[in-house]
Amino acid sequence: MMESILVTIPFGDMIHYLSGYTGVLFGFAAVFVLLAVISLPEKPVEIVFGTDGYSLKETPVDLAKFQRFMAIACGIATIGAIVTGDIFNFTLFAAFIGVLNIGIVAAVKNKHVLSAAFSYGLVVMMGTVPLFAGAAIIAATTGTLSIWELAAAGGVPVIAKLLLLIGVLGEGMAPFYIGKAEITRASGAPYILMIHVSSLLLFLRVVEILLTV
Amino acid sequence: MIEFLLLLIFAVFFGLLLHGIHRKVIARIQKRPGPPFWQEILHTLKFSFKQTWIPRTASQVMYVAIVLIAIGIWTAALYVFCIGGSLLLIFAFYMLHKIVEHGTGLSSGSPYTKFGAIRSVMSAAAELPLLVTVSVVYLFTGTLSISGIAGWEAANVPLIGIALPAAVSLYLIILSKAHYGPFSVIEAKELVSGYWTEHFGGWRALLNIALSLKTFVLISVFIVVFIGVLPWWLFLIVMILVMVSVSFICATTPMLTPYNTVLIQTIWTGVVCLYGVIVWVVMIS
Repeated sequence: MMESILVTIPFGDMIHYLSGYTGVLFGFAAVFVLLAVISLPEKPVEIVFGTDGYSLKETPVDLAKFQRFMAIACGIATIGAIVTGDIFNFTLFAAFIGVLNIGIVAAVKNKHVLSAAFSYGLVVMMGTVPLFAGAAIIAATTGTLSIWELAAAGGVPVIAKLLLLIGVLGEGMAPFYIGKAEITRASGAPYILMIHVSSLLLFLRVVEILLTV
Repeated sequence: MIEFLLLLIFAVFFGLLLHGIHRKVIARIQKRPGPPFWQEILHTLKFSFKQTWIPRTASQVMYVAIVLIAIGIWTAALYVFCIGGSLLLIFAFYMLHKIVEHGTGLSSGSPYTKFGAIRSVMSAAAELPLLVTVSVVYLFTGTLSISGIAGWEAANVPLIGIALPAAVSLYLIILSKAHYGPFSVIEAKELVSGYWTEHFGGWRALLNIALSLKTFVLISVFIVVFIGVLPWWLFLIVMILVMVSVSFICATTPMLTPYNTVLIQTIWTGVVCLYGVIVWVVMIS
């Protein structure tokens, strides 16, 4: 089942495309890349434990610059994952997003945030195994990784689809906020928000791929 | 285009009216007089003319942009519904609403909104059953176009009769997004108003409009996908009945803790995934 196609950019047997569905995802990712470029970071208010006092936390300029670079790169990688018509490229972009997400978190010089970044890093690394295994099984069983050709020919094993889904859940680390919410000690918008944007868009894209191939 | 604009205005007012009915029903079940039905419309109009500014602690561009994005995605969702477009797109818009909740909470600098935002990510457990719902609907009807699904139901039977767990999943989504519901941990009272505490005045009015559109679209999609196309007057009555049923659950169920919210949603995800696998095996054999 393939959504109606709006644009195609062929590269040999790899045909990159935008459907109505991926077009919406593309637009959304582009808006958040723009927001990462033009927004200044928030200044989180922190309550002083056991008192009525509070403090205002400023984000240092060098940290903001680094996080902005990572967030923009993450947004561009997300756009790459959305428009690609090749499963291997998709897995590469997904792994790239995972690494950049870690970069956004690990830039913060706070032991709690760094501890969270370490845990996220382990999950992301483990996520690459099923991710690339899924793509490898598809290549081995069908002889192609072009989504366009797979949509026409079919025959993708269910196990490969499942591995691809598990891999994406590992790379898009937003769900792991549940276990390691220390990320909240870092400034949120607009850079930490990019983690959630990229995770969700990656998930939405893999859903489309799994329903297509 | 003019027809769509008129429908958009109607959807905003009817969505706000549904929110008002929601509050009234909850109040009556709890033996309180409650506000009038049209209170949410009055609220939105009142907020529209109140003094508005941006907190000094906020990421200012994001603080404003996220409100416009909220209105944008639900206007687009209404458009997709009107043209009988893809159910997968509605699913995508619903998922993108998560980012709106998250962004609204993270952009203000307040610890209350930030925890609301983090809870919105936790409640992502509710989205996986929706994916199974979409898959099951596709297995039965062979299409993800809303108009195609409605056509299939007209020729066969309403999906609610043969795919009840999928309908329950979408109903749970509507419930989890309702104000004062058992799963509404993102706007729990211990967080003041949760993720949108710091959006006041005009920003609150615009968010109210976006949320009213969201309620209108989600209930409309539920009716068309699982019951079928109805005459407009019956459609509106069924919308009100769905809202009243949600209100009844909200009135009689205490708000769960974040842990229990995720636990229940995860258990339901497991059940509905099992159901999806069974349907898939039966359909291909």
